[in-house]
Amino acid sequence: MKFNIEDLPVLFPYPRIYPEQYAYMCDLKRTLDAGGHCVLEMPSGTGKTVSLLSLIVAYQQYYPEHRKLIYCSRTMSEIEKALAELKALMKYRADQLGEEEQFRGLGLTSRKNLCLHPSVKKEKSGAIVDARCRSLTAGFVKEKKERGEDVDVCVYHDNLDLLEPHSLVPNGVFTFDGILKYGEQHKQCPYFTARRMMPFCNVIIYSYHYLLDPKIAERVSKELSKDCIVVFDEAHNIDNVCIESLSIDLTEDSLRKATRGANNLERKITEMRSSDAEKLQNEYAKLVEGLRGADEAREEDTFMANPALPDDLLQEAVPGNIRRAEHFVAFLKRFVEYLKTRMKVLHVISETPPSFLQHLKDLTFIEKKPLRFCAERLTSLVRTLELTNIEDYQPLQEVATFATLAATYDKGFLLILEPYESDTATVPNPILHFTCLDAAIAIKPVFDRFSSVIITSGTISPLEMYPKMLGFTTVVQESYSMTLARRSFLPMIVTRGSDQSAISSGFQIRNEPGVVRNYGTLLLEFSRLTPDGLVVFFPSYLYMESIISMWQGMGTLDEIWKYKLILVETPDSQETSLALETYRTACCNGRGAILLCVARGKVSEGIDFDHHYGRTVLCIGVPFQYTESRILKARLEFLRETYRIRENDFLSFDAMRHAAQCLGRVLRGKDDYGIMVLADRRFQKKRTQLPKWINQALLDSDTSLSTDMATASAKKFLRTMAQPFSERDQAGVSTWDSKDLERHKEKMEKEKIRELRNGGGKMEVDGMDGLSNGQNGIDGDDFEDEDMDALMRDVDAE
Amino acid sequence: MSRAPARNGAAPRRPGDEDDICPVCKSSRYLNPSMRFLVNPECYHKMCESCVDRIFSHGPAPCPVAGCARTLRKARFRRQTFEDLHIEREVDIRRRVAGVFNRREEEFESLRDWNNYLEEVENLTWNLLQGVDVKETEEKLDAYKEQNEEGIKQNAAIESQENANTEAQFAAQKEQARLRREAALNEELDERREKEEGMREMVDMMAKGDGDADTIARESQKVVLKKSTARRTAAEKSRQQAAAVPLFSIQGLKPLTQAAPEKEYDPFGGYAIKPEYYYLRDHYEHSWLDSARSDAQITAGGYDVGEYCARAMMEAFGGLGVFVQDEIGGRQMRAEKGVGTASAAAAGGGGEEGVDGDVL
Repeated sequence: MKFNIEDLPVLFPYPRIYPEQYAYMCDLKRTLDAGGHCVLEMPSGTGKTVSLLSLIVAYQQYYPEHRKLIYCSRTMSEIEKALAELKALMKYRADQLGEEEQFRGLGLTSRKNLCLHPSVKKEKSGAIVDARCRSLTAGFVKEKKERGEDVDVCVYHDNLDLLEPHSLVPNGVFTFDGILKYGEQHKQCPYFTARRMMPFCNVIIYSYHYLLDPKIAERVSKELSKDCIVVFDEAHNIDNVCIESLSIDLTEDSLRKATRGANNLERKITEMRSSDAEKLQNEYAKLVEGLRGADEAREEDTFMANPALPDDLLQEAVPGNIRRAEHFVAFLKRFVEYLKTRMKVLHVISETPPSFLQHLKDLTFIEKKPLRFCAERLTSLVRTLELTNIEDYQPLQEVATFATLAATYDKGFLLILEPYESDTATVPNPILHFTCLDAAIAIKPVFDRFSSVIITSGTISPLEMYPKMLGFTTVVQESYSMTLARRSFLPMIVTRGSDQSAISSGFQIRNEPGVVRNYGTLLLEFSRLTPDGLVVFFPSYLYMESIISMWQGMGTLDEIWKYKLILVETPDSQETSLALETYRTACCNGRGAILLCVARGKVSEGIDFDHHYGRTVLCIGVPFQYTESRILKARLEFLRETYRIRENDFLSFDAMRHAAQCLGRVLRGKDDYGIMVLADRRFQKKRTQLPKWINQALLDSDTSLSTDMATASAKKFLRTMAQPFSERDQAGVSTWDSKDLERHKEKMEKEKIRELRNGGGKMEVDGMDGLSNGQNGIDGDDFEDEDMDALMRDVDAE
Repeated sequence: MSRAPARNGAAPRRPGDEDDICPVCKSSRYLNPSMRFLVNPECYHKMCESCVDRIFSHGPAPCPVAGCARTLRKARFRRQTFEDLHIEREVDIRRRVAGVFNRREEEFESLRDWNNYLEEVENLTWNLLQGVDVKETEEKLDAYKEQNEEGIKQNAAIESQENANTEAQFAAQKEQARLRREAALNEELDERREKEEGMREMVDMMAKGDGDADTIARESQKVVLKKSTARRTAAEKSRQQAAAVPLFSIQGLKPLTQAAPEKEYDPFGGYAIKPEYYYLRDHYEHSWLDSARSDAQITAGGYDVGEYCARAMMEAFGGLGVFVQDEIGGRQMRAEKGVGTASAAAAGGGGEEGVDGDVL
């Protein structure tokens, strides 16, 4: 299907388009034209990826700038899906245009997934694959080989050097399978092909971490040009990704390993002093000049800034007292030893980086400045020493990164030392958390560098939270509703059990037998009426375990057994994937199954229960975070002080985005249908925080149901769903062909003219409406929430 | 009951506890759970507290560790901070070096000089640590200390002041955070109270029974909303004010610099009496000058040939540097500035002549 958005011709690979897809594309184009950032929420299962790709590819090909697209997604399977989608799109374009375009699209993933080396690829762990690969492909290994020394090299990697560096692969889109196959045929390494071809690609698809994690971004993504279009898909968790990428946890074990690493370094230095002192001398001379010598000077915008390595650091010379390799290693050892003494403390400590630095200086005479250079100095040393087994130095590297971050940022970080694993533990097992509290730090370079950053997901409400937390401004911020020809999903809020008493997973009443029994009856009723699959989400593993054992005692499970097979998610990923597989089999044949899982677990993110795999999703309790965690408390306090986001608001927002994620699992398309049940009294007040498309489908009469009313309503819904429904009924309403689209465009045109005539009066009202809605989104939290308050009191008591 | 020993048994799992046997008396933590180890910075040999008491209570004694015969005193025994005794020693040495070499970055002209200085110091420390050229290094250290006693003292003072400042700052920050937390809590409480009040009012209104329930509900909702926005803006305002007037925290101040020592009194007020156009030699070769030098009749009266030469040269060159035009221009300028300054300038000029006269 071909149509124009303003002057831009778009080729859409399907004969029909959803109205929300069209709206989404229009807003995307507006963003790209304006050259700003945007946050877009598009209902799940409405073809977000394909509309995004087809618009941006059309944009690239039509305008002379050919802005590159960097598409970041969360999981491997999503990346693979996006690549396949892109491939289909390009094929369609080629068919329509009658010629292959000059176009390259590649995906990047870890070495483990892309390795072809016969022995390396057999390794199980990703870290070992990385290490072995490096030992075969590092620059100095090649030098040694040229000097005639006998070293192992990777043929696949070395073959790349024989090719022209800018066309290692022909034009076209390569999925991971595709590039593996191509690599096998041409005996070239797929991983390095993808990495080296990145500057010559039109579309790059990879994981968030390649852009957000400073250690990886430094190597992979720093040379991307300024006008790239960056897309973060499934970005509802992006703040957590940012925070995790800058947080460091140190344990006694890792410190021990770091010491060992430092000792190894010392030995290597002595060896090198005796054998090849010149190299060390060269390094020394370079460091006198500055980290990146004059020849390599970082030009203003060739590279993306690295939060762990601020710009001013590069321009300065390394402090004199860590210039010499021996001095630096002694320096590291001293620092590690200091951390060890800190670990011996038997009470919880939380302190800011400045106070940590002060104490460090008092005790070990380590100044702030050399600490800041720590990470970079270590990298330089490792390079000079030509170390091959880099994974041995991983803990040391971590310590060095920690040192650099602690010395660089006064605010936005906190050191928390927890000597015991839990409150009841008697054996100390100290962990030093260096937690990043500010999600904006990690993502700031991305926003600074790239002119258009698009953040999109199926569930990203409330939209204004993200710009606030990540510290950017948007040009477009939009949430789309879902156009449906029939009501194909039924959201309900169940607040009372079959005995009419309130149900909640709140702290005080969650283990009361009455509440547990009510939840049990609810599950039983729905297992009776749901055809095929039923997915249940609990707020935590702990609660799930306790409630299951109580159900077992009450005989609820025996009743459920009669209708469905029961499967449980566990923290172990292999067990879980086995459970999932069994669940799928059970859904495909027989009466179906129940999958009991956790709202923040693996299942809730990224696993789809389309069609018969999930007809009902049951969210038992509001999935709040574990508020006792000191890290969370610190973050809440930071958010309140810095961004003026209240603790309650954030907790509630976070709970609801996870709940929405869970609900979105069952509905993966317009021909799909499902029931969404939110079973907790407290959901009633949080309704406004649900994504627009769910909230719209939630009728007022369905917001406070008891179990029996919910059952009746669900039965009625399933009966309507059982009526025959053909493609034709959807046409013109929830799917448009080109004629419908033309009609819509005309209508919009007329509307616009009328608006202009009316002096834009209506527009303003619209804007106001949106604003007040947003306000409600924030204000609509509940102050009667006793257990939330109880939790918050603990936060404040700290 | 049965758990207690288990816990004790688990305690040695802590790092550094595995070798929990006193190297001197061989008693272990199993026998003496409250055992503490002490070290003496003289030789850094570890021993338990009771050993220290036993051996050193009667005055100085040699170290009981075989092969180390250093004399140790009880007073200097202390607990070790670091698990690794090498580091313990290193830090002690560093403390000593840092006490002497405490120059600050501001004192250096360029970053490179500062870095070179840092490396130099690090080299010295390294030598002491590794036991290379200890004697030489110690000498250097002492020499430097003697030379720069004043500067060292000054920098130490600055540093201690800085430390005190940062400590005060930390305390102030903590206090501020506490206040903010309290404020947020109060705000929330207020809000809740208001909401409850609004609710109660609404119910009261409805109970009275005048008017439609829906309108009453809507009205009271509006009132609550209005109140809450008003409170919020007030809170925001007060917060901004609080932000505008920071509790005392002055940042970016340059550290105090010692006032320059007072200069010696200069009677000429900075005027140089050195000749400008010629160079006065100590000795002029001239026959009659020689005779004047040696003639007792002349020298007895205090006549100095040097004085004569200076005057002769002065007369010969006098006036060469005077350009009348410039002088006039200068005088006019000064006159414009004001009478007071003009007369002062004239007096200054007179002074100059006077100086010349004096020399002559």
